[in-house]
Amino acid sequence: MASAGVAGEPFFALPFGDIVNYFTPYTAVLFGFALLFTLICILSRPEQQLDVVFGTDAYYAKGVTGKELRFRRFMSIACGCATMAAMVSGDVFNFTLFVSMVGVCIIGIVAAVKSRHVLDAAYNYGIIAIVATIPLFGGAAITLATTGTLSIWELSAMASGMPLIAKMLIIVGVMGEGIAPFYAAKAELFRAPGAPYVIMIHVSSLLMFLRVVEILLTV
Amino acid sequence: MIGRLSRYLADIDNLTTVYAVVVVAVAAFGILLLVVSPLSYEEEQLYPKSIDPTSPLNPYERGGDPFNRTEVLAQYPENSPYLGYVTSYLTPLSAFFAATSPYMGTTILTHPGGIIDEILYNTRGLDTVAETSILFVAFAIASFLFRREEE
Repeated sequence: MASAGVAGEPFFALPFGDIVNYFTPYTAVLFGFALLFTLICILSRPEQQLDVVFGTDAYYAKGVTGKELRFRRFMSIACGCATMAAMVSGDVFNFTLFVSMVGVCIIGIVAAVKSRHVLDAAYNYGIIAIVATIPLFGGAAITLATTGTLSIWELSAMASGMPLIAKMLIIVGVMGEGIAPFYAAKAELFRAPGAPYVIMIHVSSLLMFLRVVEILLTV
Repeated sequence: MIGRLSRYLADIDNLTTVYAVVVVAVAAFGILLLVVSPLSYEEEQLYPKSIDPTSPLNPYERGGDPFNRTEVLAQYPENSPYLGYVTSYLTPLSAFFAATSPYMGTTILTHPGGIIDEILYNTRGLDTVAETSILFVAFAIASFLFRREEE
């Protein structure tokens, strides 16, 4: 059952039936990073943005308070949990599920913001994220049909492994959920106030990118 | 040229178009690849699926008798001690639907408290949890936005 991929020798496996999450030095570091950031989101208070009116002493303070604060904190914690699960998932379909959950949570983080520009960007991002689920799950489906299994460990041990088209579909799907060049919509989302929550959007994309590279090199 | 391209990509209104082009290009490449070297279907499937049109749970019928053991394949049988015992779960209302009409398969699955999706013989339970979590996150966002209008 053990197979060392690019991520190194697994030192701990967490089985859920056929879905075996594994902690290699690589995935454990990514998991730890996601966990750390989720803790920051739980404990930290949000930033206060100040817009200074040019040439005068006037300024606008944009705070995140009340229900909006609670909802955005909840969504960023959910995003952190989904990212953590995606980092250690040892199953292709489970990974794609958590990637799409990250996409939904990212829309949730900015859904409470009352800024037309940010909501426009979130709308565009939402459309891409929804469309991205088709190649994402399509890749997993083709993998299952052609190999008969979804376990990353089994796929890495196979001579044929995952077909090229399935790999391409999965990478296109993850790109749509937030890797360059489709990152522009997410970059606009950062204009929303509330720093630790908004930065969760960035952290989850970065970690997803690192993880999908590992999966595609392993299988 | 690069400047023009980056300006085009930086406009968020163009992103959906660019993404659509990329998806279509990959799909076209995939079709070409299938013509050149067809992918073969693996006969030894871990999660086989057969459709029984006479079953009221069609197309979600997983087979097997309730409270009896059914032969089921698993990737790691050592991780599923109750393999073959759990096939699906019907609430009383779902059982009523199933007994009443043979055309309610999808309704049984989607109404609240129905089968929370296919439990797939106990082996892929985490998928079921993750799928439902996505649904609940979407519900949370929708209800927050809906209730915000009342403030």
